[in-house]
Amino acid sequence: MTLVLQLAVAGLAIGSVYALIAIGVVLIYKCSGVVNFAQGAYAMVGAYVSYALLRAGLHPVLAIIGCMVVLGGLGSLTERLVLRPMLKAPLVAVMMVTLGLLIVARAACLIIWGPDQIAFPKVFPEGAISAAGIFVTYNYIAAGILALVLSFGFLAMYQFTRIGLQQRCAADNTRAALAIGIHVSNQVSIAWAMSAALAGLAGTLLATLNGLSLDLAGIGMIAFPVIVVGGLSSLFGALVAGLLLGLLQSFTDGLLSPVLEDFLREHTSIYSVGALQQVVPYALLVLMLLVRPQGLFGRRGTERV
Amino acid sequence: MNTRHLVIAVAVALLMGALSLAFGRFGAYMVNAVAIAGIGALSLNLLIGYGGQISFAQGALLGVGAYTAGNISNAGGDGLLAILGAGVMGAIISALIGIPALRLRGLYFAIATLAAQAILEYLFKILDPITNGVSGLVIRPTTILGIPMTSDRSLVVPSLVILVIVWVAVSRLMRIDLGRSFLVLRESEIVAKGMGIDVAHAKILAFFASGFIAGLAGALAGFANRLASPEAFTLDLSADYIAMIIIGGLGTWTGPLIGAAFVVLLPEAIQRVGEAAGLSDILSPLRELAFGLLIILFLIFEPRGLTALLSRLKPRSLAVPAPGAVPATGESLPP
Repeated sequence: MTLVLQLAVAGLAIGSVYALIAIGVVLIYKCSGVVNFAQGAYAMVGAYVSYALLRAGLHPVLAIIGCMVVLGGLGSLTERLVLRPMLKAPLVAVMMVTLGLLIVARAACLIIWGPDQIAFPKVFPEGAISAAGIFVTYNYIAAGILALVLSFGFLAMYQFTRIGLQQRCAADNTRAALAIGIHVSNQVSIAWAMSAALAGLAGTLLATLNGLSLDLAGIGMIAFPVIVVGGLSSLFGALVAGLLLGLLQSFTDGLLSPVLEDFLREHTSIYSVGALQQVVPYALLVLMLLVRPQGLFGRRGTERV
Repeated sequence: MNTRHLVIAVAVALLMGALSLAFGRFGAYMVNAVAIAGIGALSLNLLIGYGGQISFAQGALLGVGAYTAGNISNAGGDGLLAILGAGVMGAIISALIGIPALRLRGLYFAIATLAAQAILEYLFKILDPITNGVSGLVIRPTTILGIPMTSDRSLVVPSLVILVIVWVAVSRLMRIDLGRSFLVLRESEIVAKGMGIDVAHAKILAFFASGFIAGLAGALAGFANRLASPEAFTLDLSADYIAMIIIGGLGTWTGPLIGAAFVVLLPEAIQRVGEAAGLSDILSPLRELAFGLLIILFLIFEPRGLTALLSRLKPRSLAVPAPGAVPATGESLPP
């Protein structure tokens, strides 16, 4: 039982970081119809920027805020320079251009910071809580809570503030938004900026947990199972599905993999299931698409392209 | 005008053969790489460019081909049998990937193929008895029809022969009813239904044909590298192939070949320039950076690809008319 609890806490912490990434992807998709493969690149670049700011001696809070500002600028810059000229391009070309961005970002970070894993400076105080037989470091708690608070804060902003209203309007109906005087292309830029900033934060949090390396870019791909399970156009769905997949991965790693491995060793010549937790989200994705393509919180019909 | 296509295809293959002879072992290696990439790009162009089904699983499909061919060949089967077996296996797996396409369209299907890529990569790693796990399957030099394939130079021959056959076969396919129905599918499934096209049937056949060709390319790649390992068939490879067909020109006849040559030769060219400029320390990331930037610039400034760029350089009377976001394939196939 304690094992289950321990796994649940770890899963929720990672899941809330997934949620941050996935919210960004959904935000961009809602506003501009672009599926952004470069979200992982923003996370990776964000982590490196935070690292550089921390190394420069900035207070962690300032460093994280600085990272989000830099990434926000980078996000709206990408939209202006790369995505806006491609408004009328076919879907596959738009997907490909975001993959190109990912390649460029990875190469740039490789040139600047090198291929080795870097130990991330301490952001949160060291130590751990042990309660009810489980053991959680402050780092996990802080990362999970920060990601969750920001996710909910972002959803509240999207729902209740003036800028959120404009965002929703621009995403729902471009022409109507233009007609009532909303500058839609500015809103799209803002959406990219916010989404990149959230990803930058998520990347930084992940780096505090697992260390800093180019592999952080891979986190962008986990966003796809998350957004399909949650519903492509639902921000709240992305949040719930992020937590769900975090839990699923954690339980797969801790409970399912060992059992499955024992079984396979006994009955076949396969002796390792490898990183099963990394592939389980994709299996769920396929299942979801076949059973309920609109996802848990999506609306049927409207978002099927 | 299939004779014209046949003549052009054979001429290109002969030219490539001559190049491989002229530039020694390295030349043969590059020509072989371009030919294999060309076959893979023809396969993906059939699916995306003509059929309109976006797939990110091409890299994994090539892997299926390489593993199948490697196993057949290592077990003592003839190379030709291995290549054909890889084609059949590729076709079967591709059709399986295509089944969700019967219910899903566009973006949703593209994401489903992303999942297929991830799942296949995972299977390459864990199915030890067939794939030899993360360390990869070593493929011993094969013999094709009794002739040992020991070097890149000998492998160039089957690669070029298969390239010509596939190239002509695809152009033939696009002139019969089935190929035409792919084009209608790409534009609108509803229209296709209205015209009495069996949408499910046509889609599965598109996946089948494309997967068969991808299997062939994978088998040849396996023989060329003498190794099939999970790292060789990742999403990055899928991205390379999508880059090829977009850079060449989606849904065009010559585009896949031009794109394949471009994407295969570009890193080599950058390597040479970098070495000359004395940047060998950071060459490999620099190559990646230049490759990514070029893809981005290409997509922004010439989304219809090199084929469109070249046809603009031709005299006006021959130029392809009607600029549009998606190239009208009817136009780009010569009448």
